[in-house]
Amino acid sequence: MGGVLIRPIILTVCIYLFLKFIVPVLPHSAPLPSSLIFLYLMLVMSGAVLFATLSGESKDAFFQPILRFLTGESGGALSSARYLVLALFPILVGWQTYGSTASSDAPPGENRTIHPAPPGEYTGLSNPVPKTPENIMYGKGLYASRCAPCHGNFDGKGFAAAGFTPPPANFKDPTTIAMLQESYLFWRIKKGGVGLPVEGMPWKTAMPRWELEMSDEDIWKVIMGEYDGAGQKPRTWDESE
Amino acid sequence: MARVRRVGKRWWVGAVGLLALCVAAEVQPAYSQQSVAVRAGLVKGPLPADDPTAAAWATASVSEFPMSPQVHWPVRITEVTAKSVKVRGLHDGTTVAIMLEYSDPSEDPDDAAALEFMVGDTKAHFAHGQPMAQVEGGPVNIWYWKNKDGKGSDLGAKGFGTLKPHSHQDVKAKGVYQAGVWKVVFSRPLNTEHVAEDTQFKPGEFGSIAFAVWDGKKMESGQPKEKGSEKAISSWWYFRADAPPDYSPYMYALLAVGLALGFEMALVRRLKKGSGA
Repeated sequence: MGGVLIRPIILTVCIYLFLKFIVPVLPHSAPLPSSLIFLYLMLVMSGAVLFATLSGESKDAFFQPILRFLTGESGGALSSARYLVLALFPILVGWQTYGSTASSDAPPGENRTIHPAPPGEYTGLSNPVPKTPENIMYGKGLYASRCAPCHGNFDGKGFAAAGFTPPPANFKDPTTIAMLQESYLFWRIKKGGVGLPVEGMPWKTAMPRWELEMSDEDIWKVIMGEYDGAGQKPRTWDESE
Repeated sequence: MARVRRVGKRWWVGAVGLLALCVAAEVQPAYSQQSVAVRAGLVKGPLPADDPTAAAWATASVSEFPMSPQVHWPVRITEVTAKSVKVRGLHDGTTVAIMLEYSDPSEDPDDAAALEFMVGDTKAHFAHGQPMAQVEGGPVNIWYWKNKDGKGSDLGAKGFGTLKPHSHQDVKAKGVYQAGVWKVVFSRPLNTEHVAEDTQFKPGEFGSIAFAVWDGKKMESGQPKEKGSEKAISSWWYFRADAPPDYSPYMYALLAVGLALGFEMALVRRLKKGSGA
C-alpha cells in the first residue's frame, strides 16, 4: 500500500546520505552544516509532494496511504508503526521546544575572517627583491630562526604551535599562501596579529609584529623562502583578474 | 506475488532503520571534543576558595588546554615546562574560584601562574591587551600568583610594558604543591565596583580567559628558568559561571508535548470522520 511513498522516502534518505557522507570526501569539498542539509532535504520533500500532487489522481494515490495509515485502516504491521509515529511526533515537538528554549552550553560562535582585506597601501605590492638562489636561501634561514618554531617545516606544526588557536598556518596547504599574493604575506608578517582589522577578531593569533625586528627587505626574502620551501607559488595579479 | 506483498508491508522497518542511522550519524560523542571553555558550577555549600585540595573540587568539571612557549614578543622562550593546564571553576553566587592544575618537576619560590580576562565589552588581544593597529582594543585584567609571595595580585594592562597592580586588590590566591603537581586556586567576588579595570562575571554568560605559567626553577646563571615574558601561555578560551538552574524549558517542552498530542488526536479524529463520511 505504501508503494507511492517508498520512492520519495528512499530518495530523501539517499540524498541525505549523499550530502552527509559523499559530499565531504569530494575533491575541494567540505562537510556541509546540518542546517544546510536540513534545507536541502526540505526542498527535496517539497519537490516530492509537488510532483505527487500534480493531478487529482496522483494526489489521491499519494495521500490515501498516509490517510489510511494515520486513521489505522492499514492494519497489520503498520498498526505498530502508526502507534510509533503517533508517540514520536509529540516527543520530537517537546524535544525541539526544549532545545530552543534551554540555554546553550556551547560558547558563542566565532565568525573570524581568515584572510581579512589588507589596508590599501599593501594591495598589489610586488616583491622588490630579486628571486636569486642566495636570497631564497637567506629567506629560508630567517624562516628557520623566526617562523619555524610555530610554522614548523612549512606545515604549521612547529614545536611551539600546540597551545595556539587558531593554529599557525600550514603553508603547504593549497588554501593558504598559494591563494594569496606576496603583498598580502608582506602585510601579515610586517604587522602581525595586532595588525588585524575588526573582522579578524577575536584576535587570538600569536603572529608577532615582525616590523619591529626585521627590515622590509628581510621580510620579502622570508616570503620567497616560504613559497620555495612549501613548494607553492604566489597568486599573481594576472590570475586574480 | 505474496513475496512482493510481504516486502511492501515491511518497507517501514527499513525506513525507520535508515532514519535511526541518520540520527546516529548526527550524534557526536562528547569526549571527542577538545576543551574550549571552563564552566564554573554553582555550589550550595562553602566555596573551596582557599583550599586547592578540598574534596569539592572533585565535583567541578575539568577542562584541559594546551600551552605554548611565549613567542609573540621579545624576550621569547622556545621551551617551557608546562605543556598543558587543567582548569576547574566553582562559584557560590557571590564569589568565583578558579583552579589551575599543572605539572612541574620541582617546587621553586619563583613558580608562578596567572589568569587573564578581558574587561568590559571591548575585545582585547590575548597578549596583555596589546594595542591593535586598526581598531581600538580593550584592557585586560590579570590575576597573578607567585609561590614566594603566597598571595594573589590583581593587575591590569593595555599593551606590553603597561602591566601594573590595581590600586584595589580584590584577588586572592593559594597554591599547593604535591607530587610534582601545582594546584593554584584564584578567587574573587563575581562582581566588583571597578568595572573599568576588573572583569565582571554575569552567571550564564561566556567571557574570555587565558592562562600563563612560569617554572621558577633556578638555573646555573642564578636566574629562574622562566620569568617575565618567558613563560608558557595559552591564547583566549571561554569561561562561564553557571547560572542557577532554570526549569522553565522543561515546562515549555511539556506544554508543547500536550499541544502536539492534542493536535494529533484532533487530526486523526477529523480524518476518521472524513473517511467514514
